[in-house]
Amino acid sequence: MREIATQGDESSMALSLRSIGKAFGTKPVLKNIDLVLPRGQAVCLFGINGAGKSTLLRIAAGLLRPDTGAVTLDKYDIRVHAEAAKRRLGMISHASMAYPELTVHENLTFAARLYGVPDRAGRIEELLADTELASFRHERAAILSRGLLQRLAIARALLHRPAVLLADEPFTGLDAGASERLAAVFDRFVREGGTLLMTTHDARMGLRCCQRVAVLDGGMLRLDATKTRIDTDLFVGDYLSYARSSR
Amino acid sequence: MRGLWAILVKDMAVELRARQVLPTMVVLGMLIVFILRLAAEPIATGAGLRVFGVAALWIAFLFSGLLAQERSFAVEQQNGCMDGLLLAPLDRGTIYLAKLLGNVIVLTIFEAVVVPIVSVSFHLEVAGRWPALALVLLLGNAAISSVGTLFSAAVQLTRTRGSLLSIVVLAILMPMMIPACFALLVLCGALPEEVVGASTFAFVGSFRTAVGYLLAFDAVFVVAGWLLFGLIIDD
Repeated sequence: MREIATQGDESSMALSLRSIGKAFGTKPVLKNIDLVLPRGQAVCLFGINGAGKSTLLRIAAGLLRPDTGAVTLDKYDIRVHAEAAKRRLGMISHASMAYPELTVHENLTFAARLYGVPDRAGRIEELLADTELASFRHERAAILSRGLLQRLAIARALLHRPAVLLADEPFTGLDAGASERLAAVFDRFVREGGTLLMTTHDARMGLRCCQRVAVLDGGMLRLDATKTRIDTDLFVGDYLSYARSSR
Repeated sequence: MRGLWAILVKDMAVELRARQVLPTMVVLGMLIVFILRLAAEPIATGAGLRVFGVAALWIAFLFSGLLAQERSFAVEQQNGCMDGLLLAPLDRGTIYLAKLLGNVIVLTIFEAVVVPIVSVSFHLEVAGRWPALALVLLLGNAAISSVGTLFSAAVQLTRTRGSLLSIVVLAILMPMMIPACFALLVLCGALPEEVVGASTFAFVGSFRTAVGYLLAFDAVFVVAGWLLFGLIIDD
């Protein structure tokens, strides 16, 4: 099944990845990927380890240079108009991007300064409350648990009110409660008009959070369809057995 | 400027908390000074001792500076913090300039500790020449930091072998050491203001020319670092 969701009015698109190709040495990792996300849509990218999911997200974030193709955020090319594009982008990755020596509040203050967030103090308080980190504000990041660090990473990513959020394996290492809270944060982000592109191995959480799914395999998009067009139970079963057989 | 200031303040806060760089620098610097003072014991008077003092200063600055520079990008390696910087809407050269400024500040603090100790131990006669001494130390500091910061980024962020940092940085800094040593020797009274003849220092000529060389070296490597940093960390 392949629904071509990559067509449409480019101006209404929040994130556009066109003809993305990337190789590490002689090994091709991504081959001519086209993925376009309209505003207010959440897309989950599935794929086994080594399928190229994280590479695609790093290219979308401007952290990696693609060999071919271009990434645009709200019409701004991430390589040409990097500053304008990055203002619209937030990212949650495997790592928390938090300095262990600094407290939760200091980490957020630093990020807010980098982005020039207006009403810095107010926005930080708002996010500390949203991510239930208020009571940990004076704790150093070094002593936070994986779940708390993930909440700090979410707060950091949303601090500057990005239009597009990239989340690379955001549920890794989180317990059921923390995963559900994170999913609620994503729901609200998308409800408020944000665009989400996430990768996960957790098929159920991926389908829970997103309206559209894409499967990356062998460097190519094998499936790109809205959730309503697929049998989600069958998808979860098929994906899990495929992922197990590919180990 | 906003990003530069934010990174600089953050780096200073991290160093104040971690206290990893300055104490190690001071220990290494003191060790170098102590060993050279012992080695200079047989000539513990006159210009010979001052020459050892100048050598102690620059050797201490070079090697302790390397320690600081190595650490400046190591802090960004933990928890993917470098990605956090690269995701921010900043010109990549701004990251280099912030790191450079941080290294200059750390090395200046180190100099403020070491210079008085060396001045007393090696009888450097710099009284009344503090402004000129501060200028030469600042220019040397900027040279060591500009080269070290750039190559520290190359080594830390591109997973190149760490030992390469000291080899490359020291090799590039060698030409700068000639006017730097010349200027300090003049300030300590171990050399006349102008040197003629066929020696290495005759190539530099005078104190003013030495300062000019240092300024030119700083300008070239600060601009080169600012321009090249983005290329080095790309991918």
